[in-house]
Amino acid sequence: MNPTTEVVHAANALTSWFSGVSTEVKKLSRNVATRLEGNLVGKSKVDMAALVGLDELSREFLTRNTFAVGAGAFFAAESVEEGSRALEWWSRKESGAIGRLDFDLTPGSHRYYNYEKLPFFSTAASTGEQTLWGPYVDYLGFEEYILTFAAPVSVHGNFTGVAGCDIRIKDLEPLIMPKLRGIPGDAALVNASNRVILGNSGMYLVGERIKSGSPDQHRMALDVPHLGLSLIYTPQPQTS
Amino acid sequence: MASSTPFQSQIYRSLPEIERADAIVDRISTGITLGMLKVGERLPPEAVLSEMFGVGGATLREALGELRERGVVETRRGRSGGTFVVNQPQPQTDTIRDWFLSTSISEIRDIGDEHSAIAATTVRLACERAEAHDFDRLQELARALVLATTPEERAPADSRFHIELAVSAQSPRLTDAEIRLQEETVQQLWTPLAVAFDPESATAEHLELVRAVSQDQPEKAQKLVLEHIRRNLFHLIDTKLTLGYAQSIQDGQ
Repeated sequence: MNPTTEVVHAANALTSWFSGVSTEVKKLSRNVATRLEGNLVGKSKVDMAALVGLDELSREFLTRNTFAVGAGAFFAAESVEEGSRALEWWSRKESGAIGRLDFDLTPGSHRYYNYEKLPFFSTAASTGEQTLWGPYVDYLGFEEYILTFAAPVSVHGNFTGVAGCDIRIKDLEPLIMPKLRGIPGDAALVNASNRVILGNSGMYLVGERIKSGSPDQHRMALDVPHLGLSLIYTPQPQTS
Repeated sequence: MASSTPFQSQIYRSLPEIERADAIVDRISTGITLGMLKVGERLPPEAVLSEMFGVGGATLREALGELRERGVVETRRGRSGGTFVVNQPQPQTDTIRDWFLSTSISEIRDIGDEHSAIAATTVRLACERAEAHDFDRLQELARALVLATTPEERAPADSRFHIELAVSAQSPRLTDAEIRLQEETVQQLWTPLAVAFDPESATAEHLELVRAVSQDQPEKAQKLVLEHIRRNLFHLIDTKLTLGYAQSIQDGQ
């Protein structure tokens, strides 16, 4: 059975929205790389001087992209000079002001935020491509229920870290629900691990994992490179 | 790090800022809404209330004045006098509509997750611990829901049933948790805003649950209560979708 016009329409709208975010994130990672290359002037490891101007890139990103609640870069521990800062992450506060987010980066500490082990970092590092992680509860990080986009940052061809952004699930809902609600019948946007990002009814709840198997459950991959997004839908019985 | 993280801020979250008189009005109204105080019931004497709330006489009188003005209590003079509950507080439809508009589906799902966790253990313990007189009482409370004729009466009947189930499980902490969850959602469930909610099927589910508890069938009781909560959750999400995104069905096409 071919997807209905409504499904195609919704898939196109979602593809276009997520491609837009993906393009912005890619641009951020390129800008971070360019800034680092300029600042490093031949040095191999990121030091405090190399970070100059990165805050401005995060601020610009957040000002331009109001869907995001946080943006910045995390660096691979091995590319950071001892005593320097391993990340530049900025977030929008309740008041709307943009401020730096701090994490506990002391290994062994009770609140240690081991970001290199988190999928948004490790996947971007191992594949060399942009990745999307979430919905997840970012404990010890931003500490909310979020999605994280991350693209690898390469300095002179070497992987140095990732740049990306966070989107709160509750902020995402009003942005993409209208597209999903255009589909008659149950439908959901799911991530690469079959986890629901948002559903258009109580049938598919955000955070749940889709068990495949039902023959009426159809799937359409969204054409946004590397993010692994699909649209799941149950066709309505034809009434003609 | 000077600033605390969101989970840490649970510790530092602001103490209730509303005036103490407003807090008393809220407590008593919620108590009536949840069926913990009944219409016709007499409140303790003013001096006792002041002492229990830890407020001065003037503050207490201000609170009771507000409740009188809302038509919720009435003060009668004389030997058999005192302050009596005379009416259910009116559900604040605007407040409930705002709740639906400002609460995301992920947050509603999360309330359902917590409620499932609390309720699953509550019914298991109720199977072990409840006794014959509890079953009769729960059955009576379950029937009260279908006998209620207005949404204002259904909310307290429904929450009362669930709170008493936790009471029959002999756990003050689970009872506290159940009260908190009921406060958070029961009015949203029964106030008819978009989609009507059927008291008959809710009552049937409550009665079936009592039967499973009285027959000491913990697996069945747990399954029933989880399905019951899931159905409530679907209703909340349906209402949210209708109130928040009704327009988008046309716009999306």
